[in-house]
Amino acid sequence: MSPRAQKWVISGPPLGYLLIFFAIPTFIMVLASFRFAGEFGGLAPLVGTGNPDELSGLTFENYQRFFEDTIYLELFLKSFIYATVTTLLCLGVAYPLALMIARSDKRWRELLVLLVILPFWSNFLIRVYAWMIILGPQSGFARAVNGVLGTFGAEPIPLLYSPIAVIIGLVYVHLPFMVLPLYVNLEKHDPALLDAAQDLGAGAWQRFWKVTFPLSLPGVYAGAALVFIPALGIFAIPDILGGTDGILIGNVIKQQFLDARDWPFGSVLSMVLTVLAILFAGLAAWVARHQRI
Amino acid sequence: MKRLLAVLALLVVLPAMAKDDVLHLYNWNNYMSDDTIKRFEVSCKCKVKQSYYGSNDELLAKLQAGAKGYDVLIPTMNAVDALIKRKALLELDKSKLPNLKNVMPQYLNTTFDPDNKYSAPYAMSITMLGYNDKKIKELGLPTDSWALIFDPKLLEKIKGKVTVLDDQREVFVAALKYLGYSANETDDAKLKEAKETIRRAKPYWAAFNAQSYIKELTVGNIWVAHGYSNDIFQANLDAQAAKRGFNIVHLLPKEGASLSLDAMVVPKNAPRPDLAFQFINFMLDGQNSADLTNLIGSGNPNNEAMKFIKAEIKANRAVFPDAESAKKLEMLRDLNAKELRTLSRLWTEVKLK
Repeated sequence: MSPRAQKWVISGPPLGYLLIFFAIPTFIMVLASFRFAGEFGGLAPLVGTGNPDELSGLTFENYQRFFEDTIYLELFLKSFIYATVTTLLCLGVAYPLALMIARSDKRWRELLVLLVILPFWSNFLIRVYAWMIILGPQSGFARAVNGVLGTFGAEPIPLLYSPIAVIIGLVYVHLPFMVLPLYVNLEKHDPALLDAAQDLGAGAWQRFWKVTFPLSLPGVYAGAALVFIPALGIFAIPDILGGTDGILIGNVIKQQFLDARDWPFGSVLSMVLTVLAILFAGLAAWVARHQRI
Repeated sequence: MKRLLAVLALLVVLPAMAKDDVLHLYNWNNYMSDDTIKRFEVSCKCKVKQSYYGSNDELLAKLQAGAKGYDVLIPTMNAVDALIKRKALLELDKSKLPNLKNVMPQYLNTTFDPDNKYSAPYAMSITMLGYNDKKIKELGLPTDSWALIFDPKLLEKIKGKVTVLDDQREVFVAALKYLGYSANETDDAKLKEAKETIRRAKPYWAAFNAQSYIKELTVGNIWVAHGYSNDIFQANLDAQAAKRGFNIVHLLPKEGASLSLDAMVVPKNAPRPDLAFQFINFMLDGQNSADLTNLIGSGNPNNEAMKFIKAEIKANRAVFPDAESAKKLEMLRDLNAKELRTLSRLWTEVKLK
C-alpha cells in the first residue's frame, strides 16, 4: 500500500464520520434556514403544493426576522456575556488546580486527574439537579450565605433561580474542560527553565508571569474554546437553575423547534450561533499560533 | 431425543412469540397504573413497553421527525387534532371498542375529532393553581382567582414563592382567562394585553417551572404554583407522606381555566393495530379507567369508572367540577403556524425581560 493510500485508510473513518454527522446535518440546517415552516412543524414542501395560499420554495424572510429588531441580538449578547464570565471564572479556578496537579508528585498525578474527571461518571442533569438542592432556600449553604449577609444588615437573597445560580452551574459543569488541557500543557514544562530563571534572580511571581504563564497560553486557549463554545449554546442549565429572565439563546432555539414548531427560524438562530462559535474558535487558533514562543 | 427437540423448538418459538406480541405505548410519565398494565398483559398474553414524552410538542416534534414503532399514543385533544390534519392516525375500528359507550357524551364528538373517528377519551386534567394552605391562610390571601399569580398587590406578599409553568400556551391562557377573554383568543391586541399582565407579575415569580414544581410545593419552597391538577394532587400526597404539616390544595379559578382531555390514538404506521384496539377497549373499562384516577387524581370522562373512584377524589370540586365551573373550562385548540409564531415571539419578549 502506498503511503498515500495508507493515509486515506487511517483518516477515512473519522472523515466519513464527520461528513455524515457534522457536515451533512449542518448543510441541512443551512438549507432549512432558507425555507418556510410546515403547518404542523417540520418544513413546508420545496415545490408548490398547488394551494396558492401556501408558501413554498426558498426565502430570506427568516433572516430578515432575525435582524428586524434587537431582541434576538440582545439574546446573543446576553449569552455571550454569560459564556465569557463562565470562561474567565473557569480559568481562575482551573489554573491553580491544574498547576497544583502538574507540580505534584508523579505518584499522585493520575489519581488527581481521575478525581477531576470523576463527576462525568454521573449524569449531567443529575449533577445540575443536585445544585437545585444545594442552592435551595432550605439548604445549609443558602442559610449560611444569608446568615453572613444578615450580619451586615443585608436582606436575604434567593440563590436558586437567579443569574448567580446559572453561572455557578455553568462553571461547575465546564470546569473539567478547562482543567484537562491546562494540565496537559503545564505537565510538559521543563522544570530546568524555572531553575534557570531563579538563578538569574527572578522571584516566584516573576517566574510565574515570565516563564510559566506564557508557556501555558496554548493550554489556556484550548481550555477557553472548550468552555466558551458549549457554554454559548447551553439550554438545560438556565432552564433548571435560572429565574424568570434566565433564558439564553439555546433556550430560544429549543423553543423554536419544539413549542413554536418553527424549524426554519430555529435553524437561523442555530446558524448564527455556529458562525459565532467558528469565529471564536478561529480567533483562538489564530492568537495561539501568533503567540508561539 | 424427541424431548430435546421439543425443548429446542420451545427455545426457538418462545423468544419469537415474546418478540412478536409487544404493545408499544408512547405515554406521559406516570400516566398508567402498574397494576392495570399487569392485568392487561395477562389478558392479552403480550408485553407492554412504555416510553414517555414530557409535552405534546415533544410528541409532535418526535413524530414529525419520523419516529416509528408506537402502537398507542395518548396526546391531548389539540395534538390529536394536529395529528389528524397530518393524516398520521389510523381510524378506530369501533366494532372492537364496545366499551366506548362508557364515555360521557360531553367528551365524545368534540370539534377536534368529530364522531371520534380517531380518538378514544382517556383522562383529563385542568391547568390551575396549587397552594400551600398554611402559608396562604396565614397571609390571608384570596384563593378563588388567577389574581393570586397576576395581581401585583397580592403577589407582594408571596414574592419569590410562586412558579408558573414553563409553557408559552398555558401561561398566556392563564393571563387571558384572568383578563376575562377566551383561552383560544388570538387577537393581537388582547394577546399584547396578556403579555403586559404577565410582564407586570413576572418580577414576583421565582421561576418558570414545569419540571420540579411538585417537589418545590412539597418541600415548602414554593407556596403557589401554576400547574396541572394531577401534579397538584401528587404534591399533596407527597406533602402528607413527608408529614410536612401543610396541605397542597387545588385552586380552580373562578374565571375559568383550560381543560386538557387526553385521548388514545393509533398511529397509521403502528406495528400492531390489533393489540392497540384491544388495549384501548381495555382502558375504557370502568375499573381500569378508575385505577388511573385513584392513582394520580386525574379527571375522568368514563361513566362506568365513577363507582370505582375513591370518594375523597370524587368529592374534590377541582378535579370533578360542578356544572357551573365546568361551563367555564375550555379545551385548547391547536394554533396554526402564524398564530404560534406570534405567540412564541411574545413569549421570547416576556422571558428576555
